[in-house]
Amino acid sequence: MRAKRKLANVYLIVIFVILYAPIFYLMYYSFNSGGSMHDFKGFTLEWYKEVFHDTRLFIIVLNTLVIALLSAAISTILGVIGALAIQMLRKRQVKNSLLTLNNVLIVSPDVIIGASFLILFTIMGIKLGFISVLLSHIAFSVPIVVIMVLPKLQEMSPTLVDAARDLGANRWQVLSKVVLPFITPGIFAGFFMALTYSLDDFAVTFFVTGNGFSTLSVEIYSRARQGISLSINALSTLIFLFTIMLVVGYYFVNKKTGKSNGMGVRGR
Amino acid sequence: MADRTIIRFEHVTKQYDDDPAVLNDVSFEIERGKFYTLLGPSGCGKTTILRLIAGFIEPSKGKIYFNGKVINNLPANKRQVNTVFQDYALFPHLNVFENVAFGLKIKKMKKSDIEEKVKEALRFVNLAGYEAREIREMSGGQRQRVAIARAIVNEPEVILLDEPLSALDLKLRTEMQYELRELQRRLGITFIFVTHDQEEALAMSDEIFVLNEGKIQQSGTPTDIYDEPINRFVADFIGESNIVPGKMIRDFLIEFNGKQFECVDGGFHPDESVEAVIRPEDLQITTPEQGKLQVRVDSQLFRGVHYEICCFDEDGNEWLVHSTKKAVVGDNIGLTFDPEAIHVMRFGETEEEFDKRLEAYEEAGHAK
Repeated sequence: MRAKRKLANVYLIVIFVILYAPIFYLMYYSFNSGGSMHDFKGFTLEWYKEVFHDTRLFIIVLNTLVIALLSAAISTILGVIGALAIQMLRKRQVKNSLLTLNNVLIVSPDVIIGASFLILFTIMGIKLGFISVLLSHIAFSVPIVVIMVLPKLQEMSPTLVDAARDLGANRWQVLSKVVLPFITPGIFAGFFMALTYSLDDFAVTFFVTGNGFSTLSVEIYSRARQGISLSINALSTLIFLFTIMLVVGYYFVNKKTGKSNGMGVRGR
Repeated sequence: MADRTIIRFEHVTKQYDDDPAVLNDVSFEIERGKFYTLLGPSGCGKTTILRLIAGFIEPSKGKIYFNGKVINNLPANKRQVNTVFQDYALFPHLNVFENVAFGLKIKKMKKSDIEEKVKEALRFVNLAGYEAREIREMSGGQRQRVAIARAIVNEPEVILLDEPLSALDLKLRTEMQYELRELQRRLGITFIFVTHDQEEALAMSDEIFVLNEGKIQQSGTPTDIYDEPINRFVADFIGESNIVPGKMIRDFLIEFNGKQFECVDGGFHPDESVEAVIRPEDLQITTPEQGKLQVRVDSQLFRGVHYEICCFDEDGNEWLVHSTKKAVVGDNIGLTFDPEAIHVMRFGETEEEFDKRLEAYEEAGHAK
């Protein structure tokens, strides 16, 4: 029994090492003064300095963040409205087909979504750039928010709404004082998911960015193609750390809001 | 008096799509300040009536009056009623105080007034000092009280209770029955209580509506309904009963099990087929010679207060006896009963006809 457990642990460790090794390899060489990714000549922060002095890169980072925050915020609003609408549907068939349509958008390949957006924007005559990227990010984030918020809505006992109405709340008050507070954890989860999806999206963005506008993933890709510069390693390290911070932050938010859930005696 | 009536249902029908009606042409009146119980098995339409009064659903046909005005289309938030839900429906993101204050805050009442009223309501349900507690920290019985406080704090004219005791254990449930009844007396407002538990209904109500299959089968005080059930369903649903087919030879004389017995019911056609009800506690065990009925003891259960003895007569009819004395399984015993113990039910008689017949033969009885 114990040997089996040990084996399982070893397996887990090996898998994680394999998964994380390339990232750590990349991070390790971001401190290499040698300028290449094979011989480690000596420790330097030169590449980080380069990253911080690169104003073009700085603007791109800002772009990426603005796109991520804006698209996450807007798609959260749209997604919550969508989830509420789906939840309110009486007919099960309509509900299920809408959900399926929603899920198809999540699982369909980014390349197809990106290409179709490119076609759409070109037909509509929308100039490729900030707006096109923002719109497409909102579009692929909304289904994610819906899928994060909907379970919370389903968890909510319908008598809560009845109770609020019974106590004199009008429709808006029911929504703002009962429904929204109840699904807040789901809304936060949806927002953070949308944020991370937007931050690391490459395929869709690659199709819909025009000249003069770029996000981090696209920029790193084009730089990596031009030849090896360890500043990319430095940049990747910074992004990795930022992501870790997001994940930790999300964990704490979830832990805090998660406490007030799982309550309510369900009679039969 | 018209103004004693607070809620009136006039031929109300509720039907979803093409399904059979959940509530079928129901009419009744609810008077101010009384404790009403809607009693019936699940799916009988009792909760539908409650939701119609609360305003969560609208009737398909008929009219609902509240204080003399039709309220068919008045939304729930504009009605002078409050509901205590089966699952309590307390808001999990608010604490006890905020839950109780919810309705008052919506009404934009002054903060100091809200505080005073909430405290008073919590005192009423014996929860003073629990204001700052979170809902998840409260036990089932305490949540129940918070739900009641949240309803009474709005000073509604009617409080609706949807099986509020069904999630509690037996001891707590009995306790809450007393408390609810006491609360209703102190507040003096109308309670409409929904339950499928007949003991609960008998113990608490001023008036009971027994429902089945979307229709009111019988309404009346607990003793009326227990002693004079109108049909087999009511007799069977309320308490335990022995129901046997019989024949009215003439008024006050019934024949069943091949024998004739004196009884106290009248107003029948001669030789009319009827059903006779005898409650198990009205049967006394005696020797086979002295007994009006001769039966064989089949099984026996000890119920604490009494023995529940199951017997069969020669025709194979089952007789349930509640007795404080023990019987021996397999013995032949006699059963005896008073004429008053027999209650005779006519087939397919409506409540109205039943009342009319009752009046008629009681008058005839007095005239003698």
